[in-house]
Amino acid sequence: MNILEMHDIHKSFNDLDVLKGIDLTVTQGEVVAVIGPSGGGKSTLLRCATTLERIDSGKIAIGGDVLCDTKEGKLHYCDKKMLSEIRSKFGLVFQNFNLFPHFSVRRNITEALVHVHKKSKAEADAVCDSLLAKMDLTAKAEEYPCNLSGGQQQRVSIARALATNPEIIFFDEPTSALDPELTKGVLNVIKDLAAEKMTMVIVTHEMSFARDVADRIVFMDGGVIVEEGPAYELVTNPKEERTKKFLAGY
Amino acid sequence: MSPTDISTIENSSLYYVLTVCSVVLAVGFLIVSEVIMNNHKKHYPVGAKVKKPPLVVLFLTLAGISIIPFAVLVIRKYLGSISGNYTTLMGTVRLLAQGFLYTFGIFFFTIIFSLPLGLIVAAGKMSKIKTISVIFKVYVSVLRGTPLMLQLLLVYFGPYYLFGISTGNIEIGPFNYRFIASIIGFSLNYAAYFAEIFRGGIQSMPKGQYEAAQVLGFSKMQTYFKIILPQVVKRVLPSVGNEIITLVKDTSLAQVLAVTEMFTQASALASAQVSVMPFIVAGLFYYLMNVIIESVLGVIEKSMSYYS
Repeated sequence: MNILEMHDIHKSFNDLDVLKGIDLTVTQGEVVAVIGPSGGGKSTLLRCATTLERIDSGKIAIGGDVLCDTKEGKLHYCDKKMLSEIRSKFGLVFQNFNLFPHFSVRRNITEALVHVHKKSKAEADAVCDSLLAKMDLTAKAEEYPCNLSGGQQQRVSIARALATNPEIIFFDEPTSALDPELTKGVLNVIKDLAAEKMTMVIVTHEMSFARDVADRIVFMDGGVIVEEGPAYELVTNPKEERTKKFLAGY
Repeated sequence: MSPTDISTIENSSLYYVLTVCSVVLAVGFLIVSEVIMNNHKKHYPVGAKVKKPPLVVLFLTLAGISIIPFAVLVIRKYLGSISGNYTTLMGTVRLLAQGFLYTFGIFFFTIIFSLPLGLIVAAGKMSKIKTISVIFKVYVSVLRGTPLMLQLLLVYFGPYYLFGISTGNIEIGPFNYRFIASIIGFSLNYAAYFAEIFRGGIQSMPKGQYEAAQVLGFSKMQTYFKIILPQVVKRVLPSVGNEIITLVKDTSLAQVLAVTEMFTQASALASAQVSVMPFIVAGLFYYLMNVIIESVLGVIEKSMSYYS
């Protein structure tokens, strides 16, 4: 089953075409890594899929629900009800965490469960406790984000994204703001999720991680997908000239 | 304005109405803080030690402040009659304390009205609807760009000279139109300054906070009241504190409307006594009040220092 479907996505900022017709499909349990040089449109693609940016034309569907579609040259976005339905189907992990600094770790994770998904406090706490155990952060439940290291903060934000039990999780350069040591902890968490067959789309610059964890790698540059294929094959034996040049830098 | 005019106030029901108002306000603030506290406790495991959130501290403080007129009334009862000899230092202090009630009244009501009004003006100025944002931009520009004293005079004399409405008979409880006009004038003016502070605070919030909230499914209202506003309060507190302290001193401008606030009394006493002593005593009153406000602001700031 296709969890994410993106078809012929176009997006421009003012006169700058950032996405020039992207097609991307992610099936259940698949881990897709998106790599490519800065300014290539990777993050924009993710932001379009997660409703943070509106596309200019194309079709996006998440978990079978259509977020937007273009018919006879006209773009239609779904209504508010469907939008919130779709938002409950995915999680997003930001590059710079974006935790709520005035909430404790526990509240960061449970707030949406209680106030958006209308779970009881006890249910939300149970979810929170099991996620924190998984992230090896049980002792930090009542701490505030400012007292955690970057790696711990990112793990909390992964827990927050997982709390609502989404069908797919998007990662937008999850380790770019971390030093190499902290990066390892976060990548291990993502590895564990991959082993549990969590569907994930990961924008990353960690080439060896992408090679080892992802099922498929998509190489983007200049607003188009230059090359895509099985992770190991694409990294070790790229076909396109542009991909070779990019990978040579690692 | 002669200081002996005070005796006419002596018999008025001002104090009793003020006392009832203050007790009602204090109880109101206590109830609000209790509700917030209970709601806040829900987020902690049973039996855990729960810190008071900033809003509770703020409301408890407001409850405490509300009770001041009541306290003054009690103290006055034991200080005895005010219509004693006002040429002595003690008499001066008593008369100024009486004027201080008005000063405090202007201050208190201005804060109560101008803070929410400032939030509305800030929201209006940031509105996506052009007409609304232009209206509020002009509002802020004019209110900040003209003298406060002029605005006070306009609020007081405007209704009569512009519209022929006689304001002499307007009274709300013990408050005559002079007092009401000064509160309206101060509130409108301070709302403009607060609005700019709030706008700065809201716009300084990182975009990521909105995005994280949006992706998690929070509604616009939830995002605003749960995520954005609590953080904005922390950010704007130092600047708001600045304005609050300025307001304490600005209340002396109510003198132009002949409100019998402390500075008006001090001027009258000073010329009657041919002495600067009343001014010095008045200065001490202002300073004392600001010292209290500073420490309250310090407590609120500290209550929010658990995150950065």
